[in-house]
Amino acid sequence: MMIAFILLGALTLVGGVITIAARNAVHAALGLVGTLISVAGLFATLNASFLAATQVIVYAGAIMVLFLFVIMLLNANQPISGRDPIPFVRELAGLGGVVLAGAFTILAVSYKDPRPVAEATLALGGGSASVIGETLLTRFLLPFEAVSILLLVAIVGAVALVQRPVPQPDDVPDSEAELLTPPVGSAISRGGSQPVLQHQSLQHRNDEGEVRA
Amino acid sequence: MVPTSYYIALSGILFALGMIGVLTRRTAIMVFLSVELMLNAANIALVAFARSWGDLTGQTAVFIVMTLAAAEVAIGLAIIVAIFRKRETTNVDDLAAMKG
Repeated sequence: MMIAFILLGALTLVGGVITIAARNAVHAALGLVGTLISVAGLFATLNASFLAATQVIVYAGAIMVLFLFVIMLLNANQPISGRDPIPFVRELAGLGGVVLAGAFTILAVSYKDPRPVAEATLALGGGSASVIGETLLTRFLLPFEAVSILLLVAIVGAVALVQRPVPQPDDVPDSEAELLTPPVGSAISRGGSQPVLQHQSLQHRNDEGEVRA
Repeated sequence: MVPTSYYIALSGILFALGMIGVLTRRTAIMVFLSVELMLNAANIALVAFARSWGDLTGQTAVFIVMTLAAAEVAIGLAIIVAIFRKRETTNVDDLAAMKG
């Protein structure tokens, strides 16, 4: 058990260091995947089997795929060069992190279990899906329902945030449309003008997009 | 049986790593990745305390935190994509329009 903890803990920390130190965003995301899977293993050593499975499926699976997808979509895997606007931010952050980690470690060492761990572990029932589900649908019914509303809001919000404005067919101002319209009566020019009109309106939209960007 | 305090110490170190990442990284996506590290550190502590007290409350809370993280990532990445479309950057230093 101790060996498993040391291995998983070391993997967790190595993954964490890769996540915050990697220059390439994809490498950082893969480091985080390593951390998440190691954390799932830690959950398993803590008698939380359902959470271990959920961690792998939801975190390491769904969330990280979303991250990698956005990193590649935005082509944001290049680090930002140039001087940091805040002087000594790295040194200060590192110092703060060391102080925080030290404080947490001192607090952790002084923690005393309220009752023997072996006895308390039995009360968890192995952290299976059935015991978690029972707690979730009895004592945590209100948070459970609130979370369902939260997920609905997140779905609607994500769709609303990333949708592009719907292009209107009559986006082209009337004066421009008149210029493009061929003289009435010439069948040939009318037949050929339709794609030109479309092209023109696309061009117009592109111009607009550039202005907005 | 690994003592609970070892898990809490690991959780604290991981949280500090995440904090360093949030403070030093300059791309919005990297800041998000570091926030995920901090959330996971908190999850480790919750599960360790659940075992220590023999109470399932901690494990259920972790389940809810995971759901929250999924919602947060979906909204956050949508905001990043929307900002990138408008301003062609995800550098958090450039996005200071709401600075007071």
